[in-house]
Amino acid sequence: MSREDQARLADRLIAGDPSAFRELVDAYQRKVYGLAYEMTRNHADAEDISQVTFLKIHKAIVTLKPGLGLSTWIYQITHNAALDHLRKKSFYPRGAAVSGAPAQAYGEPADPAPGPEASAETACLRGRIDEALAKFSERERAVFVLRHYHDLKVTEIAETLGVSLGSVKSYLFRSIQKLQKELDAQPCLREGERR
Amino acid sequence: MKGCRYWRTRIPEAIYGELDAETQVRMERHFAACPDCAALHEGMARAVRKMDARPAPDRPPQFWERYWDRLESRMAREAAADEASPRRRFPRPVWAYGAAGAVLFIVIGIFIGRTLFRPPAELPALVRATSSMGAPGGRLSPAAGPVAPPLALRASRYLKRSRVLLLAVVNSGPGNEDPFRLGLPLQKRTSEELLREAVVLKAGLRSSDRRLERLISDLELILLQIANLSTDSDASDIEIIKAGVENRDIFFKIDLSEIRRPTEKSDAGISPGTGRDRRGPGKAGIAAEA
Repeated sequence: MSREDQARLADRLIAGDPSAFRELVDAYQRKVYGLAYEMTRNHADAEDISQVTFLKIHKAIVTLKPGLGLSTWIYQITHNAALDHLRKKSFYPRGAAVSGAPAQAYGEPADPAPGPEASAETACLRGRIDEALAKFSERERAVFVLRHYHDLKVTEIAETLGVSLGSVKSYLFRSIQKLQKELDAQPCLREGERR
Repeated sequence: MKGCRYWRTRIPEAIYGELDAETQVRMERHFAACPDCAALHEGMARAVRKMDARPAPDRPPQFWERYWDRLESRMAREAAADEASPRRRFPRPVWAYGAAGAVLFIVIGIFIGRTLFRPPAELPALVRATSSMGAPGGRLSPAAGPVAPPLALRASRYLKRSRVLLLAVVNSGPGNEDPFRLGLPLQKRTSEELLREAVVLKAGLRSSDRRLERLISDLELILLQIANLSTDSDASDIEIIKAGVENRDIFFKIDLSEIRRPTEKSDAGISPGTGRDRRGPGKAGIAAEA
């Protein structure tokens, strides 16, 4: 959604257009869910956080200012909701130990028709990347995910997370280095390349 | 090679195509002359390319088809719960909760400060001994020569200066300028002064106030980190200092120490004398402290 579209949608929300909120949910549900999933690594938690996020957005529409970019605001609310959820989870570990679908359930494979070797390599890579992401700190993961999957610029990430631009650059650098280290430590080679 | 640090930190932006054309050209020129940076860039870019194997997590289409229905029913549930809650029936302004919380916090803080953290009996004696270098009533004896301020006052000044310094350092955001070149020369100099002062204070306290000594020791560690900041320190160094301040609850401990101060001032910071003397050091006393 372009910046102009976001501003238009924000204006409609402020004006009380009943269909605008539904449109906002349709436009952002995957993004909100994706960020929540990466923060929690659990599909049940991700759905809960995404719903909480939209509830908060619905309540906070009155605070919206005309012409505002929605994306940053929505990511900010999602990130805060995810952090709240994680804190509650660590405070009440038993109640939060509910897990939904397996963490590796993705929508579609990277290659629609890979051969057995390629798909084994892809699966191996996914496993390694998951391990690397699990080793990131919360901040590093949020910064990396917002940059890589949500295509936010470093300035937008800084605004979303409420941290300085320099910190965002540092977190991003460190997260990519950790990823590289993890992938280089145990490379996923095809059978032919191993020999 | 010159500029390596700067260009390395901009590698992620280059990988994600955030650099403008001119900066990109300058970076490539640097990489052409610096094989280490070029190798680092290539390695990191390769790692990011491998992320293609892991698309963004998603759910099957059925999940998204029913998503709005689930959200709508939850919104209805929450709205009904809101209506039924006593808070809704007897609404109070939000600021009232904030104000009540703040008052409660202050009262609890004062209570803790006055009861649990009562200063030990040894400190007043020690401070009296220090302040007795001046004439009774806080007046400066002409024969006494220059008098050092009482220990409690020195400690308080030390804590105040430390707090200001730490606030300056933890708020020295790398967002203001280039995050990878933080100089902080004034803060470093002040840290060194405070470190010297800490040695004097610890020697003066001689285990008479263990809590204050522990706080001074904690502060010493942080001050050492600040004093040892190199000229090319970056945001992560500041983050480490911030983490140290947070982990040790430095600001909280300083506040507690300040809360304890009025009690100390009334029976410790001032030399024994008349009732008038107990209210404050008087002009001469202030002059002596200054």
